[in-house]
Amino acid sequence: MVDRADLKSSFSSAVNSRADELERIARDILVHPESGYREVRTSKLVADWFKTNGLEVQTGIAKTGVIATLDTGKPGPHVAVMGELDSLIVPGHAHADPETSAAHACGHHAQIGSMLTVASGLLEASVKKELVGKVSFMAVPAEEYIELEYRETLLANGEIEFFGGKQEFIKLGFFDDVDIAMLTHTGGETPGTLGIGGSNNGMIGKTIQYIGKAAHAGGSPHLGVNALNAAHLALAAIHAQRETFRDADTVRVHPIITKGGAAVNSVPADVRMETYVRASNVPAILNASDKIDRALRAGALATGASVRIQTNPGYLPAKYDEALTEIYRNNASTLVGDDNVITLNHSTGCTDVGDVSQIIATIQPTANATSGNGHGIDYLVDDYDIAVLKAGKAMGLTVIDLLTGDGATGNKIAGAFKASMTISEYLERMRSFRSDVTYEE
Amino acid sequence: MSLTKNNPMSNAEISDTRALALRTIEGASDALIAAAKTVYATPETGFNEHKTAAYVRDQLQALGLEVETGIARTGMKAVLQGSKPGPTVAVIAELDALRVPSHPGADGVTGAAHACGHHAQIGALFGVATALSVPEIRDSLSGNVAFIITPAEEFIEMNDRLTLRTSGEIEFLSGKQEMIRLGTFDDVDMAMMVHTSAGNGDAPFNIGGTSNAHVSHQVRYIGKSAHAGGAPDKGINALQAAMFANAAINAQRETFKESDVVRVHGIISNGGTAVNAVPGEVLYEGRVRAKSVEAIEPIAEKVIRCYRAGALAMGASVEVQVIAGYHALKQDSILQKLFVNNTELILGRGSITVVGDKQTHGGSTDMGDLSAIMPAIHPYANSASGVGHGHDYLIEDYDRAVVAPAKVMTATVLELLGNGAQLARETVDRHKPIWSADQYVSMQRERFTTESYGPY
Repeated sequence: MVDRADLKSSFSSAVNSRADELERIARDILVHPESGYREVRTSKLVADWFKTNGLEVQTGIAKTGVIATLDTGKPGPHVAVMGELDSLIVPGHAHADPETSAAHACGHHAQIGSMLTVASGLLEASVKKELVGKVSFMAVPAEEYIELEYRETLLANGEIEFFGGKQEFIKLGFFDDVDIAMLTHTGGETPGTLGIGGSNNGMIGKTIQYIGKAAHAGGSPHLGVNALNAAHLALAAIHAQRETFRDADTVRVHPIITKGGAAVNSVPADVRMETYVRASNVPAILNASDKIDRALRAGALATGASVRIQTNPGYLPAKYDEALTEIYRNNASTLVGDDNVITLNHSTGCTDVGDVSQIIATIQPTANATSGNGHGIDYLVDDYDIAVLKAGKAMGLTVIDLLTGDGATGNKIAGAFKASMTISEYLERMRSFRSDVTYEE
Repeated sequence: MSLTKNNPMSNAEISDTRALALRTIEGASDALIAAAKTVYATPETGFNEHKTAAYVRDQLQALGLEVETGIARTGMKAVLQGSKPGPTVAVIAELDALRVPSHPGADGVTGAAHACGHHAQIGALFGVATALSVPEIRDSLSGNVAFIITPAEEFIEMNDRLTLRTSGEIEFLSGKQEMIRLGTFDDVDMAMMVHTSAGNGDAPFNIGGTSNAHVSHQVRYIGKSAHAGGAPDKGINALQAAMFANAAINAQRETFKESDVVRVHGIISNGGTAVNAVPGEVLYEGRVRAKSVEAIEPIAEKVIRCYRAGALAMGASVEVQVIAGYHALKQDSILQKLFVNNTELILGRGSITVVGDKQTHGGSTDMGDLSAIMPAIHPYANSASGVGHGHDYLIEDYDRAVVAPAKVMTATVLELLGNGAQLARETVDRHKPIWSADQYVSMQRERFTTESYGPY
């Protein structure tokens, strides 16, 4: 049996020999951004790369998802290494698509790079032959929970059931035999560091419609029912709830008005809003959601409008596996030094990695390589060596720890992991979050 | 005789009597003004005007009048009988002060202040009583004059008044409403009073138009108190509920028609007990005014919906107690014409401004309620500076505020009840009351309701 250190050294050499290619792929994706469930070009690029590199590829999973599995043929744990295909929509971003305004303002293009980095190293013949079990490379659509109207259309057409790509992967059974999952996100902490640990808020999403009664806003406002006033009051009522949110629950509620009236000289009769309700745990999400619904209804009652509240399942809070975290930390230290592996705090953002983390042992490290505000026009990956290569290497080295020595480490982690719920319980729970109620007060 | 002719001097007897009456009032003017200032110095709010009432009683008794006291707690009635039977004309004055602690005449302890000039009404009423008590003047009357001194015209201190209502001391929350209920006006055929005003034009008097009707709401939000720093998540903030309701009410304003003269306004009478506790109970006193009780209804419905929405928004509950308020003032056209004629006779042409019947005064008075059951007028004596109900409302010209109203009301009474009370009878015959007193009382009773909503 080959020494594990030698194996890791071979892995890294293999990656280094393909560094230019890996970075180029990430940059190519950066300038061809596609938003969730529309990542056609990116999906094909990933599928073609795996085919070229000798893996069998499944495509069209949840519309645009791709899975390529390295099956050693030997029994052992099954590890998923993930990368997210989708971009955001940020008009004004330096690399925004001029037509769609899609832009990689969250660094997902680098994730594809780091995932292919893992594959590049593990597919090296001298490494591959020493592994047991399986590694599935998953290029997943639609992590950003956006374009809700489009996704509702997909939902209505039966093309998807959930708005997050990993949720669809779970539903379609692609995580059924996966033991361990990992994905590296870009981050904006101290440049050159790798982050590990932390946790994420979960969320649910709401689309809201106020129906009032149109009337001439100058001539006969007394005949109208102002749906915009209903929404405005509801926003004030939502804000009035904030003092009741516990610090520990890190609740976030941040609505937008997507339609605020048709013409300024007509009393607005159809006003639409969208909001998330986020918190660090599911009971807190549901508690805040009840309060938000009540506040939304109060806007309707106050003005005599009616309100339709559609609630969609969002993402579950993320909790990362501690044993897996320690293995990753050791490998990351060999790449950037002990001092440059930082422990992450709780993040109030959400990810569908959270859903995965509730059912299998998961980590989501960060490669700190960006400047600007996440989701902002100025969010750029500055350091592709960290974002793509070192991020990929740290994951790849971790996979080597998990899948060598008969997979004992991987099996131990998988065996010790306590899932919050089974996959069927997960699906049942997510479906229970869905509701569509119209209140006529 | 014709009322359209501007000639109240058609009867020589009235003319002589009037001259004597005006001389009498002129001679008493210093005493009348001093009496008004005495009342000003002892401001007391509605249903608590005990000192003021005692003073008024003594003064009327000194004129030889028999005074019925303690009507609706502090109200009084003294009937001066003419030599011959005939209709009864009421001359009214209001006893109560407002509560304006920053007013220069405010009581240091209670904050009560005569920021609406009711003290001048008392002086004017004394003037009328003084003149009509002169035997040869009284003998010219075919009928009676009832001096009715009413408590609590200002519709304030709702909680205190509701306590009186609960203990059975009063049923309605204003003096004239309560006196109508108690039958004080049963033997009265028509009523008049003069109110002071500021900034109502240059002429000494102003008459005509109407006033708003209103309804009051005692709104009690019940939330749940909790440490505002330590455990705000365990509380339900009743203040937020009330504030939401206030914002929601403001959002309704674009739906109010100008022609309805809607006024919606309120105060938070208890907004929490300690800043470090989530307010668990909040009291809001709301008022809805509009040109008529009928016009108020849809507006009040919207306002109550807003109260409920506040409770729904916060998960609180809300209790809304509806209190029957005032009715719109309807000035009797004959009385108004007589008052105008006598003003011009005494003070000259141009001394009174007449505003159109439909012109609505945004405020409200329980003289409106009285005007729904009998002929009534509620002219204004322009004699004050500042803003009504404000800290700067002061009577600047007591001749205008006290003496002139005494003279014009006296002359009007003489014309009504002189000459065999022909004009008083015509006034009664031509008047079409909206309700009888009994109908009024049962209708007002039905306006009182209490509903609870939530907890949501």
